[in-house]
Amino acid sequence: MSPAKKRGAAASILVDNLWWNNPVFVQVLGICSTLAVTNNLSNTLIMTTGVSLATAFSSATLSAMNKAIPAKVRMIVQVLVISFYVIIIDIVLRAYLPEVSRSLGPYVGLIITNCIIMGRAEAFARSNPPALSFWDGLTSGLGYMAVLVAIAVVRELFGFGSFAGVPLLGPRWTSWTIMIMAPSAFFLLAMAMWGLKTLQERMKGGKR
Amino acid sequence: MKKDSIAYTVGFTFVVCAAFVFFLALANELTKDRVAANQRLAERRAILAALGAEPGPGESADEAYLRLVAEIRPEAGTPGRASPLYRLGAGETAAYAASVSGPGLWGGISAVLAVDAQVSRIVGLELVSQNETPGLGGRIGEAWFTAQFRGEALSGGRIRVRQGSGSGDPDPGNGELDAVTGATLTSAAVERIVNAGLASFEALRDGGKLR
Repeated sequence: MSPAKKRGAAASILVDNLWWNNPVFVQVLGICSTLAVTNNLSNTLIMTTGVSLATAFSSATLSAMNKAIPAKVRMIVQVLVISFYVIIIDIVLRAYLPEVSRSLGPYVGLIITNCIIMGRAEAFARSNPPALSFWDGLTSGLGYMAVLVAIAVVRELFGFGSFAGVPLLGPRWTSWTIMIMAPSAFFLLAMAMWGLKTLQERMKGGKR
Repeated sequence: MKKDSIAYTVGFTFVVCAAFVFFLALANELTKDRVAANQRLAERRAILAALGAEPGPGESADEAYLRLVAEIRPEAGTPGRASPLYRLGAGETAAYAASVSGPGLWGGISAVLAVDAQVSRIVGLELVSQNETPGLGGRIGEAWFTAQFRGEALSGGRIRVRQGSGSGDPDPGNGELDAVTGATLTSAAVERIVNAGLASFEALRDGGKLR
């Protein structure tokens, strides 16, 4: 039982999703995109914003529909609703942010396969009201965003010598090619998990 | 009706699918023109950039394109050509552009390639889309890479992308360009795509179409 449970529902969901039950470093969900999009900060921000919104809206919708969904097609309906929102995001990006849409390429469509979205639909939205499910989805997305952004900052800094596209380390900096490639995300993610889990255990220990 | 009955399940799935698909179709329909306009603008920008033309002050890429570039649609029944040619200027000094594309390492690479009327020099190359590894093959979209192609003289009607300093070949006269370090396959793909484009330009020139 995490210490956050004593607060109000919304606040405890926020703290849980950002920290005690973080989708990336505690639940280890959404790892595929952690590897794929974190080598530059701006793509990471847009991708994680997309995931947050898709999770929030699909959780709210599924929660509202929950009573009507027959058990046999529950997951099919979940996938339908999730892909609906992801396609909407894709359409909006293509129409209003064509540059972003081009730089993200196929990644937007791949939001559908992000395990966090279906995980929240199954674990939370099924048994909670729509507004709270929306909040849960949004904060789960933010927890995902926080970790990915941290990894992206490190990867972009060492891999390109820049921060959000702005050169920081100067022309004499030799880029670490490994940081641009997927394996570096494995190392960084594992290190982040190690550090953050250790910290969590310490915090829990301190409360006892 | 019972929630777990077959009839309810089938009916529910049908209705839900129809409803969501309806809204998707609606969203698609409402943004269709905007998306097409965005695509056309991106294409025109790439064509202008490949031809080395810049929009004048206060002029949009669309306006510059309409003012400067002539589209030459292929005549019906011309074998091997479906996409149009774009011409900047006229006569001996005209430059011609066309879209070229081919497989890269991960997905298709498409670009606009521009040559002079004699097909002796590349006027410019502008990447339109690519899905290469970001930071490695993806760097073919960076300015230093495409800038190498500007004014590059062909050697034997072709170019060669070779391992170089990785910062751009400074000599526009040798028909050689620097590959992207760490992206051998992507660089080779660009070489192949550009050379295939050059070959079709040569065929057009020999057929008397570039004048």
